[in-house]
Amino acid sequence: MGSTQVITATTNRGAGVMPASRRRPPRLRGSWLAALLFIAPTLVLLFVLRVIPTIEGIISSFQKSVSALAPPSWAGLNNYVALFENGDFLKVLGITGIFIVLIVPFQIVVAIFVALLLNETFRGRGIVRAFIFLPVAAPAAVATVIWGIAFQPQGPINAVLESVGIPGQPFLTSPSQALISIIILMSWIGIGYWTLFLIAGLQDIPGELYEAAALDGAGWWRCFWSVTLPNLRRTLAFVIVADTVSSLIAFVPVAILTRGGPAGSTRLIMFDVYNNTFVLGDVHLGSAEVTVLIAILVTITAIQFRLLGKEK
Amino acid sequence: MRKHLRYIAVAVAAASMIGLAGCSSNGGGDGGKTTLTMLMADPQKNLQPAIDGFEKKYPNIKVNYEYVPFDQYNNLVEQRIGGKDAGVDVFDVDSGTVGTLANKGYLVDLTSDFAKDVKNKSLPAEYEANTFQGKLWSVPMWDSMQYLYYNKDLLAKAGIPEPSQDPSKRLTYQQLSEDAKKAQEAGAKWDLLFDQINRYYQLQAVIESAGGGSGATGKNLLTADIDNKGWVDAMSWYSTLFSDGLAPRGVATEQLPPLFSSGQAAYIISGPWQAATNKADKAAVKYGVAPTPFFEGGKPAMSTGSWNLGLNPASKNQDAAKKLLQYLSLDEEGNSLTAKVLGISPTNKVAFDKFVAGLDSLDGTNTAGMSKLTNEELNTIAVNRPNTPGFTQLADVTGRAFDDIRNGQPVQSTLSSAQKELQGLWDRLK
Repeated sequence: MGSTQVITATTNRGAGVMPASRRRPPRLRGSWLAALLFIAPTLVLLFVLRVIPTIEGIISSFQKSVSALAPPSWAGLNNYVALFENGDFLKVLGITGIFIVLIVPFQIVVAIFVALLLNETFRGRGIVRAFIFLPVAAPAAVATVIWGIAFQPQGPINAVLESVGIPGQPFLTSPSQALISIIILMSWIGIGYWTLFLIAGLQDIPGELYEAAALDGAGWWRCFWSVTLPNLRRTLAFVIVADTVSSLIAFVPVAILTRGGPAGSTRLIMFDVYNNTFVLGDVHLGSAEVTVLIAILVTITAIQFRLLGKEK
Repeated sequence: MRKHLRYIAVAVAAASMIGLAGCSSNGGGDGGKTTLTMLMADPQKNLQPAIDGFEKKYPNIKVNYEYVPFDQYNNLVEQRIGGKDAGVDVFDVDSGTVGTLANKGYLVDLTSDFAKDVKNKSLPAEYEANTFQGKLWSVPMWDSMQYLYYNKDLLAKAGIPEPSQDPSKRLTYQQLSEDAKKAQEAGAKWDLLFDQINRYYQLQAVIESAGGGSGATGKNLLTADIDNKGWVDAMSWYSTLFSDGLAPRGVATEQLPPLFSSGQAAYIISGPWQAATNKADKAAVKYGVAPTPFFEGGKPAMSTGSWNLGLNPASKNQDAAKKLLQYLSLDEEGNSLTAKVLGISPTNKVAFDKFVAGLDSLDGTNTAGMSKLTNEELNTIAVNRPNTPGFTQLADVTGRAFDDIRNGQPVQSTLSSAQKELQGLWDRLK
């Protein structure tokens, strides 16, 4: 209320000098200035570290050069033509698509049920929570190396399987099992991570809603469908988008364990970008791939926000 | 106002001084000392004796060592040398990559500084290995050779005769597979291993022996030829190592040498450094050294070549860096010291002769006869990696194809896909 009075007063005072519509009142202007100053460092960093490199990357995707040291020349759409004429890149896109379609729903569904479980009160909840969240604290590279040993044909997982009469599995050495093995590895870390956000979302749902639903005779499933999920919408939107983005740029397990193999079955787009850019030194082809990746990310994210953002 | 301006001027001057101090330390100065940084693919302990020797000879130059594991090494070179990083002065240049790196402008032309000395003081094949389009781009440090190591106890248990050390009586790969199967039946955990089981460096010899060639042909060595009969035959034999259970799938290549040194494998094809690994292992296996096999119906071939040293064009310490190159490559003492810990061959002629003379007693009676064998093999059947500007692509594509074949993918279709991919990548370099 007080601030409104001040604004009104200053507006009146300033009116004699310049029309209010053309010039902001000094206090208000001061507030805007202060706000701008506060966000300026972030804006500058955002511009320098995100916007400029993105523009440079897009420009680079239309260029060619012998090496990173040589001056680039204009290549038009050649890099994109090379990408899409090459069946390997289309295969990379296909494998990345299958990977996303499998890993995101799997992680989200399991994370929701783990979050529901951990949101209940039971003996030993703290210990169970610790075990679920522990993988999140493990460095990705270390976890990957340990899982790599576990997945070896002569490794401990097969030892357990064989001890109960199940034949040993090829895991990372088989084109039909390698991608699933990578999904299991990444979900070991991912499920605990996304569960953290979902528990926070669950705790924000007012208890009265469940009480009202119970009075109306709703069972567990009805409560989950009609109370929990609708009220978890915002958290879920964030988790789904963030999980999709992080899965699209998944890199470490592929780089350490499979190098995209066997037979290209785990060649996800981020590894392909890395390989073209840093292993083969073809910076401009890598930039073209990143530009395609950005376009895919923006499209998927926009669709997800639009679908999840709609209120009933 | 004037007072404020004076404060600002003092502050700017102070900031400038701090900036200058920062520049000075980045430029390698340290109280009159120049600091050189080496980017290397071997752990520091392997080069430490040579670094100590260099710093003693040149007290005003200090060497800073940065180690990057092999699998990440070439990527780091791409990022740091390609990124004009003046923080690297001297770096490892793998045999076969000289053309690639020179073509990209990642190496200083060393022709006027060292060409004459490399021709006179280094092993005969080294000048060509470090030359691309008539110019010398790197200097040699190490050379390599391969041997067939066999576990005497495991062979005796399986009733397999020990391979002859006479190169004219060398085994074929096919005979070796059959013997390895007998070792398997007699209880050996693994039977026939390669030190670098999925890398071009070692498998090139099998392919060349089968008549497949290096894979790089045509003008500027940018025409791919990796699905011809020789490649298919060699890779078909290679695939049986894994389908018959003679060698493991899914095990990283650096985990293989210890399988032999700990007594779990009957045979391993590896370099002289395997003897050092065996000697250091508590298992103290009794083993012998024989010439590498050849492909049935083909000709003998043995992988050679190793790490060379290059100079970063962005280095601010070119003169000091050239002194380091000279010491590590062309100076007899310095080049000897580079090979002291690892047990690899130096390339300086005098240092090499001393190294080879010492091979017989490298690990007691186990390495008896190694000196003579080394000289004979290097002079007759050594094959180096092709100096194509597209070697990085060749190593990457074939490495993935070898992995796929190792994991049971069909040989012909895997090589055909690899051929198409490699040619596509090389066409971008033309």
